[in-house]
Amino acid sequence: MTSFSATGPALAFDAVSLTLGRTDILQNVSFAVAPGSVHALVGPNGGGKTSLVRTLLGQTPHNGTLSLRWPGSEAGVIAYVPQALDFDRGLPMTVDDVMAAMTQRRPAFLGLSPRRAREIGEALARVGLKDKRRRRMGALSGGERQRVLLAQALIPRPDLVVLDEPMSALDEPGARIFADLLASWRASGTTVLWIEHDLAAVTRWADRVTGLNRHILFDGRPADMLTPERLLGLFSSQAAPAAAVKAARDLYPDLLEEVQ
Amino acid sequence: MNALFDILRELAQAGATSGWLPASLAYGFVVNAVIAGLMIGPVLGGLGTLVVVKRFAFFSEAVGHAALTGVAIGILLGEPYTGPYGSLFGYCLLFGIGLNYLRNRTGLAPDTLIGVFLSVSLALGASLLLILAGRINVHILENVLFGSVLTVNNQDLQVLLIVALLVAALALPFYNRLMLASFNPQLAAVRGVAVKALDYLFVGLVTVVTVAAVKVIGAILVGALLVIPAATARLLSHSLKGFFRFSVGVATLATLSGILLPIQFDLPVPSGAAIILSAGICFVLAALARSLLPGLRGESA
Repeated sequence: MTSFSATGPALAFDAVSLTLGRTDILQNVSFAVAPGSVHALVGPNGGGKTSLVRTLLGQTPHNGTLSLRWPGSEAGVIAYVPQALDFDRGLPMTVDDVMAAMTQRRPAFLGLSPRRAREIGEALARVGLKDKRRRRMGALSGGERQRVLLAQALIPRPDLVVLDEPMSALDEPGARIFADLLASWRASGTTVLWIEHDLAAVTRWADRVTGLNRHILFDGRPADMLTPERLLGLFSSQAAPAAAVKAARDLYPDLLEEVQ
Repeated sequence: MNALFDILRELAQAGATSGWLPASLAYGFVVNAVIAGLMIGPVLGGLGTLVVVKRFAFFSEAVGHAALTGVAIGILLGEPYTGPYGSLFGYCLLFGIGLNYLRNRTGLAPDTLIGVFLSVSLALGASLLLILAGRINVHILENVLFGSVLTVNNQDLQVLLIVALLVAALALPFYNRLMLASFNPQLAAVRGVAVKALDYLFVGLVTVVTVAAVKVIGAILVGALLVIPAATARLLSHSLKGFFRFSVGVATLATLSGILLPIQFDLPVPSGAAIILSAGICFVLAALARSLLPGLRGESA
């Protein structure tokens, strides 16, 4: 799905290893993300997906090389969608306040800056939160908070989007909105690196998928990679038997009987 | 700068003699205290919103207590006991920065680490004060502990003005980034926020504000004015705009009433205690209002 008009960078992980304390988090991880593609990263909990993203975003010292090749001469905009924000749920802070705090310089208690007000309105409209701009952030549902995190990733317009399980709390309409965002990023040539548990969603919407459990398990097109045998391999570690069963049930309803 | 304070004093005294302003403002020291209060209130109230958002309440209490040790060191080193600012700023900044450094290094929870720092610092202060007891009138230290409006002089006002301007100049442009860094450090870093550096900046700002306000509010209670107004505002507001305004308003109101009421009614209460009691009354009223008026609790949207 590499398009010649891609504005996003190509990512290359080359023999990346990461050790925290005495634990090997990542061992010799090598794979590439094509510019302008939607690349999913799957694997059991504790398999190092989040650590890999942290390494990509420059937060952890690691061995091996990790390169971002931007199409132009200058580095583009990176957007990051974390799993959650850590704040006191009772804080008097509206959705607009949070968007302002994340995207503008003018102190958020002075309101939206004229330059950002329109963009913030558009971003919230795209995730279906236009009517909830004045709601307190702590009063939103988990899915709605996740939509706010998706909205902030749209400002400023990103060239690389890094998503850390953006669908974990999304409801059905939220998932559709997320699919639309993925489609628009693909259309504009934005590179997307997407950590995901929901393998059915990966099969439907990702261009390529990499399985990770401390080392690379597989790397290829979702339709070829996410076969029943692979799934069992992916989740066979005792860490996540429930996840294995759920993933298997989601993707291959018939599989469960075979296993039993 | 002193000329400015002189003009303000003369204006206030003229206002007091003509009956426009409370009669107590005819005294120069009262005007000094009011000018100090007008700077302390908004700065502590405004910064207090960040203290509450970033969960720094315990830290600001600890820095206030560290001021006690700072004063003891200052007097021991021969600084004037009316304003040992060198040792105060020096020791408290060392306290705050050291604490933040160890927090990054050891990974201990902030409240554990603050507990350690606070008690060791107080033990040091108590020891030094006992050494000093033979040399100076220890009653002077009452002023340090609980604040005194009688002793606010031009030097104190200058220190306050400089600190107030410095804090406004640094905290306002970085307000959003300071918040974002505590919401999600990684997202903040991706958005170009220097998370660690801003941590130190915030520790430094809380420390200098605390030290500058010690003269009026006292070492024991100064931390409370960073917390109570913001806590009150949190009960009454639904957005950051209301949060900030209420916090500044409550802090200013509490400071001014804590300075003026004891003088007006001839109450033998130290200014710091009166300020914090006023703030505490505001908090109780806010809590009552919240439980009695459903509109404050529910969703406005």
